[in-house]
Amino acid sequence: MTAAVMGRPGSTGLRVLRAEWTKLTSVRSNVWIALGTVAVAAGTAYGLGLFVRPGDGRSGSWVVTSGFVLAQLGFLVLGVLVGTSEHTTGTARTTYTTVPRRLPVLAAQVQVTLLAALTTASVALGASYLATGGVRAVDAPALDLSVPGAARALLGFVLASAAVALLGVGLGALLRHPASALVAGVLLVLVGDHLLAMNPGRTTDTIRAFLPSSGARLLQDDAALAGLDAVTRGPQLGVWGGGVVLLVWVVVLLAAAAYRLSRHDVR
Amino acid sequence: MIEVEALTKRYGSTTAVDGLTFTARPGTVTGFLGPNGAGKSTTMRVVVGLERPTSGTATVAGRRYADLPAPLHAVGVMLDARSVHPGRTAYKHLLAMAQTHGIGKARVREVLAQTGLEPAANRRAGTFSLGMGQRLGIAGALLGDPATLILDEPVNGLDPDGVLWVRHLVRELAAEGRTVLLSSHLMHELALCADRVVIIGRGRLLADATVQEIVARSERAGAVRVRTTDPEALARELLTAGADVTPQDGGVLQVHGASVDDVGTAARRCGVTVLELGAESGSLEDAYLQLTGDSVEYRTADTLGRTR
Repeated sequence: MTAAVMGRPGSTGLRVLRAEWTKLTSVRSNVWIALGTVAVAAGTAYGLGLFVRPGDGRSGSWVVTSGFVLAQLGFLVLGVLVGTSEHTTGTARTTYTTVPRRLPVLAAQVQVTLLAALTTASVALGASYLATGGVRAVDAPALDLSVPGAARALLGFVLASAAVALLGVGLGALLRHPASALVAGVLLVLVGDHLLAMNPGRTTDTIRAFLPSSGARLLQDDAALAGLDAVTRGPQLGVWGGGVVLLVWVVVLLAAAAYRLSRHDVR
Repeated sequence: MIEVEALTKRYGSTTAVDGLTFTARPGTVTGFLGPNGAGKSTTMRVVVGLERPTSGTATVAGRRYADLPAPLHAVGVMLDARSVHPGRTAYKHLLAMAQTHGIGKARVREVLAQTGLEPAANRRAGTFSLGMGQRLGIAGALLGDPATLILDEPVNGLDPDGVLWVRHLVRELAAEGRTVLLSSHLMHELALCADRVVIIGRGRLLADATVQEIVARSERAGAVRVRTTDPEALARELLTAGADVTPQDGGVLQVHGASVDDVGTAARRCGVTVLELGAESGSLEDAYLQLTGDSVEYRTADTLGRTR
């Protein structure tokens, strides 16, 4: 037997990263989820764009990024699958005997998911722009980057998408069961906010402000943010506050997942 | 070299492994034998760092597995054929493993060829039979050309060809000076390929010896089997001569503490006609069944009376 070993033996952060990228891209369903997410984002933006009229107070950036409401579920699923598939398929036995220090694997999973989500979100944004182009030509508001906050909203679409994917990784790696991670994720990024919104008040508005769904504020231009801040009885989060709330959730969940991974047995 | 020292692993109130100590040495195949649920897999999982021992230690090449700088090159591990994402091809699965240690694609192709998986390299692992899954697991264990191999039930689900191949492979690996720890609940399988056998039951060490030593320990070893027309008369005669007699079905007596000659002479003395007389030889299977008799967790009522 010959050992075709190159360079210093053993695992390094970069090598584990390369391995996780191979793992992410070698499972066909992950590629389909990414493509599906792009299609859902563009399709939703196209559909909603049909109904927007100049008098609605919706800006052009709102139309282009409106696919987020459904597309975020695609990002969530992608992240949850990265976080749970090790444990649901038994791959964990192989992965964590190969890299027994374990945490480099989670770090690599976060990085590859971030890269995949940023790419997918950028493509989805481009597709949404093209899909809503025809509609804009009629009488819907055009995408105008000179509108205050419009460029930030486009960037926000990409950032919030990536953050939701990482939220999925954190929930998946923490809970290790896709069903429970997905239910928790959907509650946190979508349903929880809508349920609380049915009963507005100081308490519910405060809770809503500190749910990960606050991250959707990143997709609003200045005028839309002002509108949101005018009706809420909770705290004023400012331009980036919603994004910070989402980021904190991501960091806390990933830290909890890292704790469980490093301290507990892998089955 | 694998050293397990006073290893205990508890899950809540259940003790899976209880103060287990044994050593697997280089250049030998160490068989790890025990009934289902005896703690074999748990022990192996603790050795490779997937689970933390409640107390005691397990080291490979003198270090805790998690402290090995390059685990793939030190220890080849195959715990379960179902340790692969069903949606990933065999090649990509091995490639991802190899990439963590900077091992090249050429080596991946090499182990695929060595395990006979080349034609299936680009098939998704979910479509594999149990036997092919085992081959993929073994391919992964060989990937880093390690000095120690830990294989949990490697012949499970293999066809006769595959069983022969594994037997030959582990002998060859040990002959190259590697340490091989191989678990099985099939005693005859281990009798054919192991040098030493570590037998456990209910998480405790029952025996740690060479295959020959364990066979010699069998209750049947050194016993005399005799079938006569009047077993009761012969039994009485033998008991007065100081031998131990166990009556069995069909007029057969199992005699300890007397030679074939003694039994034949005794039969002549009491005028009993001998129909069959011979010395019995032990087998690993007998020794194993006696050793684990009290520690089998799940068994059918039928086998309870079967000690042969």
